[in-house]
Amino acid sequence: MNREQTNENMLAVRNLKVVFPMAHGVIRAVEGVDLDIKKGESVALVGESGCGKSVTSKSLMKLLDTPPALMRVDDITLDGESLKDYSEKKMQDIRGRHMSMIFQDAMTSLNPVMTCGRQIDEMYMRHQGMDKKEARKHTIRALELVGVPEPKSRARNFPHELSGGMRQRVLLAMAFACMPKLIIADEPTTALDVTIQAQVLDVLRDMQRTHGVSLLLITHDLSVVSNIAETVYVMYSGKIVEKAPMKELFRTPYHPYSEGLLKSVPKLSDEGKQFVQIPGSVPHPMKKPSGCYFHPRCPYATEECRQSMPPLEKRGEDRLVRCFHPLKHDAKEAKTA
Amino acid sequence: MNEKTSGSDYILEMENVSVDFPVKGFTAFLKRQKISAVSDVSLRIEKGQTFGVVGESGCGKSTLANTMIGMVKPTAGRVTFKGKNLFELDRKSFKKTRRDMQMIFQDPFSSLNPRFNVHDIISEPLLIRGDATEEEMKARVEELLELVGLSKDDIDRHPSDFSGGQQQRIAIARSIILNPDFLVCDEPVSALDVSVHAQILNLLTEIQEKLGLTYVFISHNLAVVKNICDRMVVMYLGKVMEGGSAKAIFDNPRHPYTLALLTAVLDTDVDKEKEEIILEGDIPSPIDPPQGCRFWQRCPHAMEGCKNVPVPEVEIERDHYVACHHVNGFPDTDLPEGYDRPVKTEEAERKDKSHPLKTEESVESKTDA
Repeated sequence: MNREQTNENMLAVRNLKVVFPMAHGVIRAVEGVDLDIKKGESVALVGESGCGKSVTSKSLMKLLDTPPALMRVDDITLDGESLKDYSEKKMQDIRGRHMSMIFQDAMTSLNPVMTCGRQIDEMYMRHQGMDKKEARKHTIRALELVGVPEPKSRARNFPHELSGGMRQRVLLAMAFACMPKLIIADEPTTALDVTIQAQVLDVLRDMQRTHGVSLLLITHDLSVVSNIAETVYVMYSGKIVEKAPMKELFRTPYHPYSEGLLKSVPKLSDEGKQFVQIPGSVPHPMKKPSGCYFHPRCPYATEECRQSMPPLEKRGEDRLVRCFHPLKHDAKEAKTA
Repeated sequence: MNEKTSGSDYILEMENVSVDFPVKGFTAFLKRQKISAVSDVSLRIEKGQTFGVVGESGCGKSTLANTMIGMVKPTAGRVTFKGKNLFELDRKSFKKTRRDMQMIFQDPFSSLNPRFNVHDIISEPLLIRGDATEEEMKARVEELLELVGLSKDDIDRHPSDFSGGQQQRIAIARSIILNPDFLVCDEPVSALDVSVHAQILNLLTEIQEKLGLTYVFISHNLAVVKNICDRMVVMYLGKVMEGGSAKAIFDNPRHPYTLALLTAVLDTDVDKEKEEIILEGDIPSPIDPPQGCRFWQRCPHAMEGCKNVPVPEVEIERDHYVACHHVNGFPDTDLPEGYDRPVKTEEAERKDKSHPLKTEESVESKTDA
């Protein structure tokens, strides 16, 4: 979709594991996740709360507090550079300059006692060694790019003086300030209204496409994904259960969980009073079931699923699925009919 | 809304309700400012139905809901619940009436006391009413836990042991323990995962069928409202933009704001061509709003005069009301003094041609009205 997209990987993660040792047991939050993001590609990581999405994103930035968390990874490479053994000090140079993050709640991720402009200035001063005046010029330009009206006076506002949508734009401006190679957006629109969500997604998509930045979008809402991502990873209880190009996943999901997530989005075209639901909820990370983690909620589960964890297998080009009984497209249509 | 019917079918009626909040601050020498949170809203809610209130944050949805259950006193207008004016009742009978109306809030975690266990949370309304024994309370709580899809064994656990969806189930159980008739759901699923939305919404409809409740359902997501509401209003900055039967509104949305909300709903259908109307800007400040249409600043079809000429609600078809000059045309009479009859600017004319709402019918219904 993007001109600058090549087959080279911008980010490659191999076998990421994160555990939290607790007094009563061990929480295995992330269990061996592989992620590949190509240059200029936008990738979405989808799953319900408690499935390990946010822990994954934070561990990519090495933002997890260790302890309590323990992180093991075979390799993380960003643009060919291995981050695995980087010290905290070295990571500080990477964060913001080469990879940056947009958090869900703009109010809590902006400093309330600093003006918005000042917080963006810092990025330029810290990473590009600009002086205050020059930094402010760039800040105003960055705010303009993300569609903040009157960027000059907005830069002098404190976060509480701005609306939710504007605050999220300030975060976008900050994330894009140094034109990083990779942006991780952790639920960037969950706290916003639908109309404002449309605005912010629009800006995010435009910025990502025009500047050829790679994007990792983390969300629980598949309808957000349809607007922006090219490849989707579906995560459940710490494991990737399906990887597919966005359109293929939406047309023909292979994993029952992906299907459930897709169907549970309320649609305007729905008729009748019943909503399609996935029964139950994500298992407690300390009490994960045996076999396939999804089997207690899966309508197609068999004895095999209860016994052993299915491997993540290739199925078709560019698609991976972790299921003993992946859905067949024609079978699925017969079921819905 | 102007329909004439016998009052008995309606559980709640609001007539020309306005709620203003004074603005605190350095206004001693200035004109006293006020926030107009709800302005001149009239609506009727039928027994056993689900009534939807839709709009963005800051449009007055929650103030409206709070007024319905008597938590906020309106500056003008009447709220009648089961034939009684809520704000003329004395303290004792208000308390009694208030038992029949309950509320479910957006964020289940912050609306449940983290130090109470499930039994204490759900039985608290009974305890306050003070006429149930320990055993009765426990039995009732267990019964409700099963009704909302939790297990009896959960009775001693604390809110933090549950997921967001389960917490919302607890909040629902608490709200129905006094057998209310009227339940206000203030964005009951917005704080939850999309996959859990369906569970909670299905539970709410199930309970409604079993107990014959009347719901007021507040949401900013039209896709959610569509499938569960019988009648609804779309609000913007304290005013009703479009209202009436949900079916009529979804089949034939007319107000530019409703249309923008509809297209803002994201879909998972990747093969469908979508036309997007992305509204610019945010909801403006409700301090001293314009006399005319409150949506004019963000409206893609705003004409000159939209700002100043008050917008009447016009019934464009059976049980479907729209407050928009663009759809209804400017009224011939009732122009405030000093205003000429507004003319469409060239730009508005051009936009008008591409307006998806402007059909032959709307011109006809305009002349009828």
